[in-house]
Amino acid sequence: MPNESFVRSGREENADRAVLSAPALSTTPSQGAHGAVVELIDVGKVFGATTALSHVNLKVARGETVAIVGPSGSGKTTLLRCINFLVPYDSGRVYVNGQLVGYREERGRLVRDSEHNVNQVRKRIGMVFQRFNLFRHRTVLGNLLEGPLYVLRVPKREALTRAYEVLNMVGLADKVTAYPDQLSGGQQQRVAIARALCMQPEVMLFDEVTSALDPELVGEVLAVMRRLAQQGMTMIVVTHEMSFARDVADRVAFMEGGTIVVDQGAREFFTRPQTPRIESFLRRMSLA
Amino acid sequence: MLQFARDYLPFYTIGAVVGMGLTLTSMLGSVAIGLVGALGRVSERPAVRTLASGYVAIFRGVPPLVLLYVVYFGLPSWAHDLGIRFLMDLLSPLNNRILAAVVAFALNSGAYSTEIIRASIQSIPPEQTEAARSLGMSYWLTMRRVIIPQSLRVAFAPLGNEFITVLKGTSLASVIGVTELMRDAQLAAAATFQNLVAYSLAAIFYVVMVIILQQMVSMVEKRFSLHHA
Repeated sequence: MPNESFVRSGREENADRAVLSAPALSTTPSQGAHGAVVELIDVGKVFGATTALSHVNLKVARGETVAIVGPSGSGKTTLLRCINFLVPYDSGRVYVNGQLVGYREERGRLVRDSEHNVNQVRKRIGMVFQRFNLFRHRTVLGNLLEGPLYVLRVPKREALTRAYEVLNMVGLADKVTAYPDQLSGGQQQRVAIARALCMQPEVMLFDEVTSALDPELVGEVLAVMRRLAQQGMTMIVVTHEMSFARDVADRVAFMEGGTIVVDQGAREFFTRPQTPRIESFLRRMSLA
Repeated sequence: MLQFARDYLPFYTIGAVVGMGLTLTSMLGSVAIGLVGALGRVSERPAVRTLASGYVAIFRGVPPLVLLYVVYFGLPSWAHDLGIRFLMDLLSPLNNRILAAVVAFALNSGAYSTEIIRASIQSIPPEQTEAARSLGMSYWLTMRRVIIPQSLRVAFAPLGNEFITVLKGTSLASVIGVTELMRDAQLAAAATFQNLVAYSLAAIFYVVMVIILQQMVSMVEKRFSLHHA
């Protein structure tokens, strides 16, 4: 399998794979002893009069898959977007690989970081969107090469090799020359995942990636994500797919009213719901 | 009529070629100005936005004929009267009729191109920008690799229309003595006193050129469409 090389894993059971892949960029400073890839400390965000996030704390270890679930409007997407600073949070701190995102400390105060530094962080965070957002004027291959060639500036040959590997992994090697609007939703979403993977990210953010898909196309996308998780990719997945959360995620964070209400192991979350609110949420989701 | 056409066809053809050349160079300048202007119009800096809007407001408001007079008759002699070396060097090339016409038409059309390209940039869904930024692309890289290539495809058809407008507008250059199609028609009319025939033949030339252009535009447009189905 050529797929192992997609993932930079520091997890014990994947240690052999990590050595196998050994990508040049893999040595990254880890934050302290706990080695969290992503850490949110007391993060808050206000849009005008509405509080989107308040006091959000979350820690995601290398190789972990965390599902973020909860009713719509509870702040799941905003939380995800704060991690790569597509939404600038306005209180608290977000660390990716031990590096503060979007701000830097100056004499004890946080000041907005330069665009350049934010981009440095972003290129190590893969993001997949609900509506795919593929570049419409580029072929599948063009979409995959854009980031590596123009952001990472890797040699073309290397970028091509990786693009083909990733395309194999998502099962779309026969679609290299297709344009996004010639593909089904499920195929587009797999290309979007591949585009993010070509950047060899430390962590992948998934923002309700199956919500815009026809039901029969959901499976193929989830299968790719499942494989990624098994390979040890660090993933944060905002989702309404409860069975995916239960079977694939290590942990589930339940959000309500802009904050994480419960954060626990996936199995316990579903077998022993901690609050009546979660119980009714799960009941409604399984009916849907 | 037939005799006239036989006699003057080569003469008119040369005029048409000059007019087309004038249009092509003016449009090149127009699109270049339009790109810069549009980027200014969508800039995050208010001062840059104001500057770009000011350009559009002024040059869309000035009739091309007036602009032509200002550029050809006005600017070089103004620089000469002031006697400032730098300005004279800068503006004296405008004593050349063709160059003056190109500059005037490009400045005029550039205002329209600015608005066309700005609208096309704003028609690109913000999700495209978001996707690019999430890959770590900077503002300018996003513009260069994602937004501009898509918006130029959107802008192509209206820019084609603008091309046609400019082509017809080049007939104005006859007033400063550029021997394009209209000027040739005037000369032919003066020599033969067959006014109706002389000017109608010019009209036919313009119509044929515009039809050919229109065909070319829609061919290329299909080729570069964002819809690939």
